[in-house]
Amino acid sequence: MSDSTPQRNVIALLPEACTSCMVCVRECPSWCISLESHVEAVSEEGARRPRTVNVLDEFTIDYGLCMYCGICIETCPFDALAWRDSFDYSSGDRQGLRQDAVDLSRWWPTGS
Amino acid sequence: MWRLASRPDVAVDVASAGLACCSLEVEAAGQRGLLVASETVPQAAAVTVLVVAGTVTTAVEPALVRLFDEHAQHGPVIIVSFGACATSGGPYWDAPTVRPGIEALFPGQEIASYVPGCPPRPEALVVELERLVDSRIPA
Repeated sequence: MSDSTPQRNVIALLPEACTSCMVCVRECPSWCISLESHVEAVSEEGARRPRTVNVLDEFTIDYGLCMYCGICIETCPFDALAWRDSFDYSSGDRQGLRQDAVDLSRWWPTGS
Repeated sequence: MWRLASRPDVAVDVASAGLACCSLEVEAAGQRGLLVASETVPQAAAVTVLVVAGTVTTAVEPALVRLFDEHAQHGPVIIVSFGACATSGGPYWDAPTVRPGIEALFPGQEIASYVPGCPPRPEALVVELERLVDSRIPA
């Protein structure tokens, strides 16, 4: 459970694991996560009904708003969010604390 | 008032406007020896870094502006927004009695740095202070 222990460092995203289910966005107490996705049809040979899949377009955590409670990590059904160790990402401007999927996924490989 | 332990030769005072739990992290930086009480350093500081640490309510706002003005009378002041409350109002951003960040409180004055965290770690403060001192204040 080390990934679930809040150290007030940074929350990383694994975009491939995210299904755009919106659970984290809705559970976040400080409304700091925003998520955009679209639905794509999946063509499957012999399928009885049309199938669709959610495709993640944008995922942003506003670290100027985040209260580091870790509820998003706890509630993610697909383990697409996890704590990582870095604390050194201050910004000279307010908008610089808004980190998108590319920024957030860079934290992922650094290990917990 | 504090000085940076890692930059003893640079005359910069760190003034903490401790308004909520974030101020405990500033104190923790002192406890760990990363910041030292500035009374121990004889020379007067040329620059003051004002670390706004905590929730800015409408009631406390005038006192914060006054604190800035007092420091500004003695020389240049660098403002650091420390933690989510000072940056955006944090978890209280939608409360009518909480200012959604300090950006609008100091007209004509830039916020030099926003340190993320709720609260940020003491190390995050010290790393950012070192960066500001190294980039903005000639040794």
